[in-house]
Amino acid sequence: MQANNQRPMSRRRFLKLSGAAAAGTALAGQSQVLHALVKKRGGLQEPQVQRRFSVCDMCFNKCGLIARVEDGVVKMLNPNPKFPKSRGMLCARGNAGTKQLYDPDRLKYPLLRKGARGEGKWQRLSWDEALDHAAEKLKAIGDQYTRCGVLFMAGSDLQSQFVHRFAEVYGSYNVLSHESNCLLSRNRAFLDTFGIVPFPDVLNSKYVIMAGANRFEALVTPDSIDMVTAMKDGCKLVVLDPRFTKTAALAHEWHPIKPGTDMAFFLAVANVIVSENLYDKNFVARNTYGMEQLVQHVRQYPPEWAEQECEIPAKDIRRIARELAVAAPAAIVYPGRRTSDYENSSQIRRSFAIVNALLGNWDRPGGLILPGKVGLSSPGYDAPFYEDNPEERVDFGKALMMFPEEGSFKLSRDAVIAGKPYPVKGWFTYKTNPMQTGANRGKTIEMINELDFMLTVDIQMSDTAWMADLVLPAPSYLERQDPASGLQGGSAGACVITRDPVVPALFESKPVFWILKEIAARLDLGEYFDFTLGEFRKKQLQKLPAAAEALRKDGVYSINNKLYGVQGKKPFRTRSKKIELYSERYKKNGADPMPVYRPPRTVPEDRFRIVVGRNAYITQGSSTNNSLLCQIFPENSVWIHPEPAETLGIREGDEVEVASPVGKGRLKAHVTEETRKDTVYMASGFGVLSKALKNIYGKGACIADILEDYDDEITGNMAMHETMVTVSLAQS
Amino acid sequence: MNQTGKKKYAMVIDTSKCYDCKACMIACKVENNVPNDFWRNWVKHTGRISGMRTQFQPGGCMQCDAPSCVEACPVGATYKGKDGLVEINPSRCIGCGNCVTACPYDARYLDPLKHIADKCDFCWHRLLRGEEPACVATCPTKARVFGDLNDPRSRVSELAEREKLVRVVCPSINTEPNIYYFAGTEPLNWPVVPTLPGNVHMPPGFWKYSG
Repeated sequence: MQANNQRPMSRRRFLKLSGAAAAGTALAGQSQVLHALVKKRGGLQEPQVQRRFSVCDMCFNKCGLIARVEDGVVKMLNPNPKFPKSRGMLCARGNAGTKQLYDPDRLKYPLLRKGARGEGKWQRLSWDEALDHAAEKLKAIGDQYTRCGVLFMAGSDLQSQFVHRFAEVYGSYNVLSHESNCLLSRNRAFLDTFGIVPFPDVLNSKYVIMAGANRFEALVTPDSIDMVTAMKDGCKLVVLDPRFTKTAALAHEWHPIKPGTDMAFFLAVANVIVSENLYDKNFVARNTYGMEQLVQHVRQYPPEWAEQECEIPAKDIRRIARELAVAAPAAIVYPGRRTSDYENSSQIRRSFAIVNALLGNWDRPGGLILPGKVGLSSPGYDAPFYEDNPEERVDFGKALMMFPEEGSFKLSRDAVIAGKPYPVKGWFTYKTNPMQTGANRGKTIEMINELDFMLTVDIQMSDTAWMADLVLPAPSYLERQDPASGLQGGSAGACVITRDPVVPALFESKPVFWILKEIAARLDLGEYFDFTLGEFRKKQLQKLPAAAEALRKDGVYSINNKLYGVQGKKPFRTRSKKIELYSERYKKNGADPMPVYRPPRTVPEDRFRIVVGRNAYITQGSSTNNSLLCQIFPENSVWIHPEPAETLGIREGDEVEVASPVGKGRLKAHVTEETRKDTVYMASGFGVLSKALKNIYGKGACIADILEDYDDEITGNMAMHETMVTVSLAQS
Repeated sequence: MNQTGKKKYAMVIDTSKCYDCKACMIACKVENNVPNDFWRNWVKHTGRISGMRTQFQPGGCMQCDAPSCVEACPVGATYKGKDGLVEINPSRCIGCGNCVTACPYDARYLDPLKHIADKCDFCWHRLLRGEEPACVATCPTKARVFGDLNDPRSRVSELAEREKLVRVVCPSINTEPNIYYFAGTEPLNWPVVPTLPGNVHMPPGFWKYSG
C-alpha cells in the first residue's frame, strides 16, 4: 500500500495551484464553500487538488495533518505519517476540523455589544472601528488604573505568545493561560522533585499505573497510541479511577479508588518498596536527597492503613508495589495531565513523583525521560517600564508557590471581584473559554460585571465571547500563518512545527497577531510588532538551518534528540542538585517537605462528589458545537450508580437536577455501574449560554456552573473534585 | 501490489488495539460526505463492566462473498463487483430498502437526500489514488489493516497467515464476510438475522448467494 506522503507533487505545481486558489478566493469570497456542494457535471472536470501540511488545533496535542484541498475547498484532513508525535493518526476531533473551518456558527466580523452583558445583542463594526475602540478602551483603563488594570488570558495556541508580548509591552503582568485550570499541580510536583517536567516513555514501559488519568479518552499523543503498542508487547496497565473509563475498560486491572485518596495508595506503595528493600539502591544513593527522611516518613503508611483510606485491598497494594519494582526501571507511575482536582493536588502528584524516583526510572527506557532541546531562537525585545505600576501580579502571594508566569485564574478572578490589591477593569481573552472551564461560572460572571471593558478574540461565539464587550473573529488553524514552535513528543522525540494557510481566511477573520499589531500601533507600541510573521519565523529558525526545508517537505522538522542518558552526571535543577524526596524549599514556603496524607472531604450521606473528565470526542467547549462531533456526543448526562439512583427514584434518561452550594444544572441521568456509588460525573462543554452555538444551545448542563472553586494550596491551580452535589428528579 | 491478477480487498481488525476513539467514523463521514446521523462504519463493544476486559469492535460493510443484500435487491442495483467489493449502481437503485434490512450487520442506509441505498465501499476513490481507506489511514493504533488478500505480500495476507482470525457471522446464514478479526474478539454477537422490510423473515435458502 502506498502511504499518501509518497505521492509526488512537484513543488512548482504545488505553488502554482495555491496561487490560483488564493486569487480565486479573493474574488469569490464565501462562494467557495457553496461550490463544494455542487456536483461536477458528469465528472468530466477533474478538481484542482492541493495537499498541504498543517498541524491540528482541535485540542492541544498538535498532531500532524495533510489537508486535501479541491478547488480551494478543504475536503479532508489526513494524518501526516511522517509526524513522529502523532505517528500518522488523527482522532475524531482532528477529522472533524473541516467543520470548524466551515462552521456556519463561526464569528464572521467584529461585533460590539449593544444590550446587557450576555443578552446577545450585537452591532457589526468595521475592523477600523473595532480596533480604534479597543485601543481607546485599553488606553483609558491603563491611564486610570495603571497598565496592570488589564488582565490578559490566552489559551494553548501558536500565536498566544504574541498576547504575552503585547501584555508585557502594554505594561501588564497580569497574564493567565488555561493551565491554572488544568495541569499546574502536576508540573509543580514533578518540577520540584526532578528539576524538570519529564515525559513518560510509555512505549518502552513494562508496567504503567494510571491514576487520575484516562489516556484512552483524554487523548495525548503519543502516549495514548504508545500505551496500546506497549500493552501488545506485554506491558501491564493498572488504572485507579472512580469511574470505569475506557482506559479502565482496557486495563489489566481497574481499581475504583475512593476519590482524593491517591496519595494514600502511593505512600503505601512507597512504604512497601522501602520496607521490602525493593528500590534501586545505587540510583537512590547517588541521585536523591532526603531518603532517610522518606524512610521514616512512609513507615506510618502501610498498605493496611491505605486500604482504609483508598478502598483498595492491602494485598493488592502490596502486590502492585512488588510488581512495579520487578518491572523497574521500565515502570512508571504515570504523571498525568489535568491535575486540577484537589486542594492538595501538588502534594498528591509529589507522591507519584517520589515513587518514580524510588523505581530509578529517571532518564531510562520505559521510565520518565527528559524533554528534548529544540533550539528555536526567540526574537527578543525590551519592554518599556511603567513606573506607576503596582509591584506584583494581582494574584501574588495567594498560593504558597504559584508559577509567577502562569498565575491562577481562580485567584485572579477573586482579586478582580474584590478590587484588591488593586482594581483590574479590563480583560483580553484569546481562544480560551473560562466561562466553560473555570469552576464556579457564577463568579466568572461576577468578575466580568466588575469590568469596564472585555475583549475576546476567538473563532466562535464561545460562552466567554458571549459575555464580552467587543468580539473579534479569528481564523481557524487551517487559514493562518503561525510562528514556529517546539513540540515535545516524549519517546517520539522533539520536533519543530509551524502552520501556513491551507486556504485563505474566511469572512473578515483576522489572526490575533494582526489584531495585536494593529492595536499596538494605535497605542504607540508599534515598534514591538514591527515585523511580519514570516520574518519572525525566519528569526526563530535561524539556528536550525535544515528546519525550513523539512517543514516544507515533510510538514515537520524532527530534532532526533537523544532520549535516554541525557541527564548523565549533570546535577538536577533543584536546590539540592538531586532528586528531592524531601524538599527544603517546600518547608521554607510553608508546605509539607514530603507529602503528608490528609483525608479528602467526607461525602455526606445524601450527596455525591462530582468529578470532571474528558472523552475523546470533545475538547471542552471548543468542539462541542462541531456539526460532526455533536452527532457522536450531542449532550452531556450525569453518571450515577444504580443503587443511589434507585433510592432517588431516578431511571436512565430521566431529567435530573444536579445542585451544589454555588449552582445547579439540569440534564439527563445516565444510570450506570461505571461510577462509584459516592461519585457522579458529567462531561464539560455543554449547558452553553451562547445562543450562537446553535447545535448545542439548550443541551445538557454546564459543569462549571455546579463546581465550587477550591484551589490547590501550592499552585493556585483550580481544584475541581472538591464539590459535593445533590442529584434529584427535575421538577417539570 | 499485485498489478495483473484480480484483487480481493479485505480488512483485518485487531480489536485489542481499539479504544473507541471513533476517528474512523468521523474520517469516513468527511471523506464520503455521509449525511447527518448516518454512518458507514462503527465501533461496537462487549459488555463494559462485566468483569471481562472490554473489547471495542470496529466494523463496516463486510463486502461479503455471499451477500444477502444482493439477494434482496429486486432490480440488480447491488452486486458483487470489482476487486471483491459489493457495489451499488446508483442509477438502478429504486430505494426500496430491501438491502438495508437484509444486511446482517446493519451496514447499509437509505440516503435521505439521494433516496438510494448507500454503504462503505472501502473508499474506492481513495484506492484509485493509491491511498488507504480513510478509516484505516486515520486509525491511531492501526487496529484496522486493509489490503488485497490475493496479494501474498500484503499486510492482510501476512496477518491471515500468521494470526488466528475469525469472522463475525450471523447464526442463521453465513454471508462470508471479508472483514476478519483477531481471534479473542468476543462475544461477536452483533449480527442480526436478515429480513425484508416490515420484519418479514425469509427461509435461509432465500439468502443463498447465487452470483
